Amino acid sequence: MRRLTLLLLPALLAQATALAAAEMAPPPATRAEARLEGRAVPDIPLRLADGHERMLSDLGQGRTLLVTFFYRRCAGVCLPFLEWINNAATEVGGLGSDYQILALSFDEADTVADLRAQARVFGLLENRNWHFAVTDQAALADITGALDFWYRRQGSSNQYDHGSLLVAVRDGRVIRALSGGPGQTQRLRELVWELRGRVASYYAVDKEPMLRCLDFDPRTGALRLDWGMLLLVAPALTSLAAAMAVFMPRRHRPSLLRSKS
Amino acid sequence: MQAANRQIFHWMPVVFVLFPILILLGAFMRSVQGGVLPELEGWFYPMMTLHGVGMVGLWYVASMAIVADLLTRYVRPSPVVANVALWGTVIGVVLLLASVFLGRYAAGWYFLYPLPFKGEWPAWSNLVFLLSLTVLGAVWLVWTLDLLRAIGSRYTLPQALGWHYIAGRSEPAVPPAILIITISLICGIAALVSAVILMALFFLEMFAGIANDPLLMKNLTFFFGHTIINLAMYLGVAAAYEILPHYAGRPWKANRVVAIAWNCVLLIVLFAYFHHLYMDFVQPGPLQYIGQIASYASAVPSTIVTLFGALLLVFHARMRWNLTSILLFLGLAGWAIGGIGAMIDSTINVNVRLHNTLWVPAHFHTYNLAGLAFLVLAYFHHVCQNATGLPENHLLQRASALTMTFGAYGVFLMFYLAGAYSVPRRFALYPAELAHGTSYAFWGMLCALLFLLGFLLYLGETGRRWWRAVAG
Repeated sequence: MRRLTLLLLPALLAQATALAAAEMAPPPATRAEARLEGRAVPDIPLRLADGHERMLSDLGQGRTLLVTFFYRRCAGVCLPFLEWINNAATEVGGLGSDYQILALSFDEADTVADLRAQARVFGLLENRNWHFAVTDQAALADITGALDFWYRRQGSSNQYDHGSLLVAVRDGRVIRALSGGPGQTQRLRELVWELRGRVASYYAVDKEPMLRCLDFDPRTGALRLDWGMLLLVAPALTSLAAAMAVFMPRRHRPSLLRSKS
Repeated sequence: MQAANRQIFHWMPVVFVLFPILILLGAFMRSVQGGVLPELEGWFYPMMTLHGVGMVGLWYVASMAIVADLLTRYVRPSPVVANVALWGTVIGVVLLLASVFLGRYAAGWYFLYPLPFKGEWPAWSNLVFLLSLTVLGAVWLVWTLDLLRAIGSRYTLPQALGWHYIAGRSEPAVPPAILIITISLICGIAALVSAVILMALFFLEMFAGIANDPLLMKNLTFFFGHTIINLAMYLGVAAAYEILPHYAGRPWKANRVVAIAWNCVLLIVLFAYFHHLYMDFVQPGPLQYIGQIASYASAVPSTIVTLFGALLLVFHARMRWNLTSILLFLGLAGWAIGGIGAMIDSTINVNVRLHNTLWVPAHFHTYNLAGLAFLVLAYFHHVCQNATGLPENHLLQRASALTMTFGAYGVFLMFYLAGAYSVPRRFALYPAELAHGTSYAFWGMLCALLFLLGFLLYLGETGRRWWRAVAG
C-alpha cells in the first residue's frame, strides 16, 4: 500500500499543480480585443471638464491616448474601472510623457459640471493628462460603434447596462484594446509598459505553466529568470558531468604507448 | 581486404533504403508547390514532417555509425550497445512511419509546442510520434555514452580534447578524428538530454494536464534539434579527417591550431541555437546576441582550419581520385558553402528578413545534402571498397558524383533564389502574389529527381560492393 501511495503521489501532485495553475491562469486576450486593433477611430468633437471644446485628435498630440467610457451616475463598474486605470498609470508611470487618458461619458445626462465633480473625486481636476469629456449624440454613436462598445439604458432608471473597454489610440487607430473588468491588472500594467515604449517579454497562455523561462513583474517592470531556465542549463551540466564520469581516471588505464605496442 | 562483419554494414541498408524514399518525399513536396500535384496538397504537411524528421534522424545515425566504425581502429565500443542503437532506431522509424502514414501527423520536424496538441490529426498519432522520438533519443543517448566510454578507456579527457596540443606539447599523438568525435559526443549528450526533458514535458501535459511554457519548449526543441544537426555534420567531418589522408598519401595530424579550433565548438555550439529564436520577441535580448556570437564562434574556426587543412592535404599531392575522395572533397565544399549560407542567416539584421523564407531550407539542405550526406556516402564507399577490393568503374563513379552534385546544387539554387525573392517557406500552394515560387519549386523538383538518379548510380557502385561484402 505504501508503495502504491509512493507511486501515485507524484501523479497526484502533478494533477493538483495543474489544477491550481489553471485556476490562477489569467483569461486569454479575447478575439474582440484583437478585432479592434488597427481599427480607425473617428475624430469626434469633445467638451472637456474645463469647458473647452477640442477634437479627439488634439488630445494625443503625437502620443498615445488611452480612451475609456464611463458615466457619472454609474453604480457599477465605471468608477472602479477608472480608479483601476489611475492606479496602474501611477504605479507604472509615463502619464503625460508617453500617453494621456480620456474618460468619455456615454450618458447624455452628464454635464461639464458632472465631469468636474468626477475628476475631483479622483483628485484629477488639475491633472492636464487626464481628460474627462462629453460629446454629442451623433459623435458618441460614431465612436462607440467604431469601437464596438455597447451600452443600454435599464428601463426607466438612470443606470446603464454596459461593458468595460480601454483602447490605446495612436495616429487615429487602435493599437491595443483591453476589455473586461478591473480583474486584469497584470494585462493593464503590461499595456501601460508598452505605451512607455517597452515590450514586456511576457505572453498570455491558455493555462499557466508550471515552469516558465521568464517572469515579468508588471508592477515594477522587472523581468526575472524563472525556474524553467534551469531546464535549459541542465543539459549542458549533465553532459559535462557525464563526460567527467566517463573519463574519470582509472588506476589500471593502459598508457598510450603500451596500448600502441 | 577487411572483414565485412562490422556493424557499419548493417547500417548501410538503412541509408540505402530510406534515403531514396526521403528524396522522393522532398520531390513530392516541391511537385505540390510547383503545381504538378496540387490535388495532393493534403499530404504536403505529413510528408514535410516525415521528410524533415527522417532526413535529420537518418544522417545523424549514419554519422554516428561511421564514427562508431572508425573508432574501432583505436578503441572498442560495445557491440551490444551498437545493436541496441540499430534496432532502437528501426523501432523508432516504424513508429514515425505509423504516426505519419496512418495518423497523417503533420506538426513538422520542429513539432513546435503547442502545435502537436492543436492539429487536426488524432491524439494517438501525436503520442506515437512522441514515442518514436523518445525511443530514438533514448537509444542514441546510450550509444553516445558508450562511444565516449570507449574513448575514455584509452584517452584521458584532456588528451581526447587535445588540450596538450594547446599547451604546446605534441605527445601523445591523438588523431584529429578522436578530438572531433569526443567534442561532438559530449555536446551530443547535452542535445539528447534536452530532448529527454522536452519529451518529458510533452508527456506531462499529455497525461497529467500540466501546461508548458511555449518559450521554454521552443528553446528545448532547438537546443536539441539544431545542436544534433550541427554535431552530425561534425561527426561526418571527423570521417574526412580520418580517411582523406589515405587518398592524398599524406597524414592529417592534430596540432595546436586544430585543437584550438575544435575546442571552440565545445560548449559554444550549445548556445548557437539561439539564432532560431531571433523572431521571438519574448526571448531576452542578451540571448539573441549570444546566439549570433556563438553561431560564428563555434563554426568559423573549425570550418576554416578544416578547409585549409584539406586544401593543403590535397594541394600537389598524388591524389587517388575515386568516388570516396571526390565525395569527401565535395562534402567539405558543401559544408563550407552551406555554412556561409547559415552564417548569413544567423546574422540578426539579415535573419529578420530571411527567416521565414526559403533561404532557410536552402542553407540547411546545402550542408546536409551536399555536405554531410556526401561525407557519409564517401565513407560507406571507402569501407565497401576496402572490404571487397573490386575494380572501380571510374566513369560510373564520376557520373554518379557529378549527377548528384548538379542535382543537389540545382535544388539549393532554387531554394536560395526563392528565398532571396521572399518566397515563404512551409507554403503547400503559393497564392497569386507568390506565383514565382511555383517555378522555383518545379525546377527544384526536377533537380531532386536528378540527384536521385545520381544516387542510384552510386548504389550501382557502392551497393554492389556492399552486397558482395555481406553475401560473400
